[in-house]
Amino acid sequence: MTHFLNAIAGWGVNVAIAMTALRTNLMRSILTTLGVMIGVFSVILAVAVGNGAQVSVTQQIATLGSNMAIVVPQPDSGSGPPRSTDRGRLTERDGEAILRQVSGVSAVAPQIRSSVQLVTPGRSANTQATGATPEYGIVSNITASEGRFLTDGDIDAAARVVVIGQTVADKLFADANPVGETVRINRVPFKVIGVLESKGSNLGNDNDDQIVVPITTLRQRLLTTATQGPDDVTLLFVGFIDEESLLSGQREIKRMLRDRYRVPKGRINPFTVRTTTEIAETTGQVTQIFQAVLVAIASISLLVGGIGIMNIMLVSVTERTREIGLRMALGAKRSDIRNQFLVEAAVLCVIGGAIGLTLAIIAAAIFQQVADFPAPIGVDTAILSVAFSAVIGIVFGGYPAIRASRLSPIEALRSE
Amino acid sequence: MTAPLLETHDLVKDYVIGGEVLHAVNSVSLTIKRGEFVAIMGASGSGKSTFMNMMGCLDIPTSGTLLLDGIDTKTLDSDALAEIRNRKIGFVFQQFNLLARTSALDNVAVPLIYAGLGYAERRERAQVKLEAMGLGNRLQNTPAKLSGGQQQRVAIARALVTNPLMLLADEPTGALDTQTSLDIMAIFQKLNDEGITLIVVTHEPDIAEYAARRIVFRDGQVIEDAAVKSRRRAIVG
Repeated sequence: MTHFLNAIAGWGVNVAIAMTALRTNLMRSILTTLGVMIGVFSVILAVAVGNGAQVSVTQQIATLGSNMAIVVPQPDSGSGPPRSTDRGRLTERDGEAILRQVSGVSAVAPQIRSSVQLVTPGRSANTQATGATPEYGIVSNITASEGRFLTDGDIDAAARVVVIGQTVADKLFADANPVGETVRINRVPFKVIGVLESKGSNLGNDNDDQIVVPITTLRQRLLTTATQGPDDVTLLFVGFIDEESLLSGQREIKRMLRDRYRVPKGRINPFTVRTTTEIAETTGQVTQIFQAVLVAIASISLLVGGIGIMNIMLVSVTERTREIGLRMALGAKRSDIRNQFLVEAAVLCVIGGAIGLTLAIIAAAIFQQVADFPAPIGVDTAILSVAFSAVIGIVFGGYPAIRASRLSPIEALRSE
Repeated sequence: MTAPLLETHDLVKDYVIGGEVLHAVNSVSLTIKRGEFVAIMGASGSGKSTFMNMMGCLDIPTSGTLLLDGIDTKTLDSDALAEIRNRKIGFVFQQFNLLARTSALDNVAVPLIYAGLGYAERRERAQVKLEAMGLGNRLQNTPAKLSGGQQQRVAIARALVTNPLMLLADEPTGALDTQTSLDIMAIFQKLNDEGITLIVVTHEPDIAEYAARRIVFRDGQVIEDAAVKSRRRAIVG
């Protein structure tokens, strides 16, 4: 026990010696620390931004709705003359067939997407319009926070009604209640029947910057191009009752659509069927790569900081050769000298790491405020980064420290 | 207490400089007993300092034997030599070699760090030695705030703090004026009276007269080794 306490006290002495040495060359110590500080700062910030991106993506996917498959037509990228099946099309009838034939499907929401311009007296806004059915609300978990969502009646009547997102509402109506007001969408007057419940924004993507109109109305009143058939849709959302039926359903939809479009064997599907689970996984992977790249770049600055430490420690050893000789004459073992310089490097790094961490926490908070982007710094990240800076110190301080400890006492004492 | 403190047999130290071998110390055999006060003299390059460095386990002989307190130093590794320097030898240097920007107390306590003592005991022992050197009111002074004589007394306190068997002083008065030099020699004589073995390297003949035995080096060899005839006494002033 006393041995252990002595060992602790021994390291305490090393820290005290290190602090004295660092204070003696205060300016140099600060400049050296700066390298590690910037390194730790950028690594932590990179980790935080990466974490934030992941959180954001997870939220984004949650807003899509769970247990859902998204069917999108896909033009064939193969060679040869274009054919009708190559263009990639999808119809409302396909959606009806899926609802009828695929097991476990709770609802199918056909959609047409189109960019539109909204005008009210004195104001205007460009946004994305989704032509949809009431199923859209069910499948992707969308409700109206004010007024109401679409009904079957709206669809059947091709009513000129619109449910607008919060951002659109703010742009066109400011603080006034938009429900019951009239907006012109591509010059056609529509009645606002509701405001969509806010879903916030993720990764700079505003989920509230959209409007929803009946699919029939959009087709009849707002589509300017005649490229689509009367029944065509941009995409289908297929809701499933649970995750299991989602997985089997995905394969069933593919098989069924291949049959319906008589896609010959060996040809790529002219559509894609992706599940929210898959999207979550892929985006998760993408953000992980994004984070890894960020951290890798940031690590380079930490490496440079570490090399700075090594450089200064080498200078310090050379400058203090006489002191090393004296300490050896007074009874310091090689390990004592080595530890003294190791601790000095580690102290430099830990101080730099702690300051870097503090700055990173501040920067993350500012980032969160200004860019509305979460950049969480966990306690684990904090502890890890400071511990890691100590390791940097020991690794890069190692060579100078060992060099110091190998000096011959008399040669060290004689040096000027 | 039977073995002599220091015993050398055919001690040799060679330096190779520019392809030529220089015999800095050339086959020296002598014995120093406990309680002696030895002055080692010689011109610069005579080998006196090299000999002294080997006595202090700072330098390793090329050949020959060095027995320190009965132990053959050839058998010791660098850690064991460090421990001998710590426990058995106290060094006093010409340029004092105090740590700058460090208080007298902390300077004196340095050897105790390597002896593995705790903070409180280090400070207590260092203070006792400084008070014995008449520096009880200068404990917190840094070397820059001490005179040359005071600095050398701090260095002596540091050399004594581990209660070593002997003190090795390399030109201890070289950087001091005459009166201060006498003060230092008085301290050495007093310490010697108390039983500590003293080996002082000097090139000043009058300083050597305060020692009891004089060894003169030339070209790496001992050319004279005799008791000081008219030994002088210095009085602590």
